[in-house]
Amino acid sequence: MTLKIEHLTGGYSGTPVIKDINLTIKPGEALGLIGLNGAGKSTTIKHLLGLLRPQQGKISLDGISLADEPSKFKKKLAYIPETPVIYPELTLKEHLELTMLAYDLDLDEAWEKAHRLLKTFRLDDKLDWLPVHFSKGMQQKVMITAAFLAPAKLLVIDEPFTGLDPLAVANFIDLIRQGKQEGKEILMTTHVLADAQQAISNYAVLNRGTIEVVGTLDEIRRHYGLKDTDSFDRLYQLLYQEQSNA
Amino acid sequence: MRDLAKKRLAANLRQSVKYLTLVFNDFFVLAIIFMFGALMFWYAQAMKTMPKNLWYYPLLLALILWLPTLSGKLVTLLQDADRQFLLTKDDQMEEYLAPMRRYSMYLPTFLLALTGGVMFPFARIKLGISPLSYLLLLLGLGAGKYFDLLWTSRHFDFDHAIARGLRLARLANLAGLLALLWLGRNFACLLLAGNLLAILLASRSKRQKLFDWQYAIDYERSRKEVVYAAFSMFTDVRERKIQVKRRKYLDFLLPKTRKRETPNSFLYRRTLLRDPEYLNLLVRMTAFAILLTIVVQSPYWVLGLSALVLYLTVWQLLPLGQAYDKNVMYRVYPITREKRGQDLRRVLGGAVFLQAALLAVCWLLLLPEHKLLCALAIMAWAAILAGLYLPCKTAEEDKRARYRGKKRGK
Repeated sequence: MTLKIEHLTGGYSGTPVIKDINLTIKPGEALGLIGLNGAGKSTTIKHLLGLLRPQQGKISLDGISLADEPSKFKKKLAYIPETPVIYPELTLKEHLELTMLAYDLDLDEAWEKAHRLLKTFRLDDKLDWLPVHFSKGMQQKVMITAAFLAPAKLLVIDEPFTGLDPLAVANFIDLIRQGKQEGKEILMTTHVLADAQQAISNYAVLNRGTIEVVGTLDEIRRHYGLKDTDSFDRLYQLLYQEQSNA
Repeated sequence: MRDLAKKRLAANLRQSVKYLTLVFNDFFVLAIIFMFGALMFWYAQAMKTMPKNLWYYPLLLALILWLPTLSGKLVTLLQDADRQFLLTKDDQMEEYLAPMRRYSMYLPTFLLALTGGVMFPFARIKLGISPLSYLLLLLGLGAGKYFDLLWTSRHFDFDHAIARGLRLARLANLAGLLALLWLGRNFACLLLAGNLLAILLASRSKRQKLFDWQYAIDYERSRKEVVYAAFSMFTDVRERKIQVKRRKYLDFLLPKTRKRETPNSFLYRRTLLRDPEYLNLLVRMTAFAILLTIVVQSPYWVLGLSALVLYLTVWQLLPLGQAYDKNVMYRVYPITREKRGQDLRRVLGGAVFLQAALLAVCWLLLLPEHKLLCALAIMAWAAILAGLYLPCKTAEEDKRARYRGKKRGK
């Protein structure tokens, strides 16, 4: 019962951006995907969501292959994009109703959960509004609410902290912790490690399209020869040097 | 800044020419020539029979000549990014706006010249206005429009209160024109003199130094939206940004229960009711069919033309099926695409029945004869469109979706 990315090579129009990626996330595990801009984080996510077709390799979740059974795979997945993607024609309530319809949720149970999430993110009085007119941070809260409403096994989260106020960041981190306890698998890309490490302990470093190391932040430090006194930002300088020397 | 303005004006002109070529296609030009010819023929006949110097002629002429001065808002071509990249150029904005004002005069000048030309025989023969006085009146109105644009550009200096003054100035132009036509046609130069003086005073008045970027950019956005909306009635406008409105008053058209609803039908219904592109099309075509009823009156012609309108409505609404194809969340959510043709058929079928029902009610009220027969026939036509035409068209879409699904699966 795991997310498995095996020998994934892919990118845009034949040009490989990511090469031979191998990742495994077990139930209750959260993995942070870190790397410089252009390292291949978003490309990896797009492959995972079925938005790009792999040139090689296989993605499966609980034994269900994305390529063979996309609908079944997607029912087990929820996504929070970096830039909120809102349906301009739908109200907040209708966004949640659409999520319930798409994931075939029991309406009473789903609404109970939805109201809890809405209250957490202080959106409960805006159900009849069009989120397209919300601020970016509020739109991001809509995306988070919809994603946590879905009974997904795998949560794919792309740079979630941009635009969120500190209170919402804390609420969001609590939800990730709770999700881990419930056995969800979480893959999150981020540059904001200070916030991320409150909920995520394992990270994969992606550089020039390949996974260089997977481990805790301390293990990553050791891998790159960073001292305890070095700021973690030094890692990004090293990755840049690697890129420049290549 | 002057160079930037010229560069943008040239690009805008290219874009306008591109869309105008699409709008004024051969058929449309032919239709306009026929309509204009018919109007001129009617005008020439009317001129022969109309008595001279009726009391309301000056009012009629003043209104018709004044209307073109309301056309054409100030073109600024400011963009969102200007708030960032030109933020330090407040004191050079006058340099930027001067060529913009001149450009903004093209449309009103053309319309004023056209209207002035058309109305000249009326003014000369029925009101006895001399050609010189008439020309001075037109020049006065043109100067009034330039003052309007100049004053509008002062809004951008955080001086929004002058909007009221602008409305008063427009009304003053109409009142001045009317007064001159009624009382003193020999003093036609007064309108021109008054407006030139206003331009001079406005140019020399003390200006605020701070430029209101947000206001100016919003102003341009709303101006462009109107232009694009006009173009989009004839062709697809890539640059147009759709402003979706909630339209709660239309919620009664949505099903009360979600039992028979699928994610696709859920989305299609709301898009049809809230996206102005689709809703306006539906409303426009329905209004057009009702207008035909009033104008044509012959029941069989009304029936035939309305049937064509219904078919065109459905045909133009078909792209609703692909409205979300580029939405990432639509592609990520577990929404099956294979049967979305059926969902589209249900939603569009409802829309076409609603349109036919409205027409049927109008005909029962307005048609002189064969009301019931026509009403039943249009409902039957709606049933044919929903039951035969839509399934064929949506089956093609289902097939394409299945093919795409298989291709992705490989």
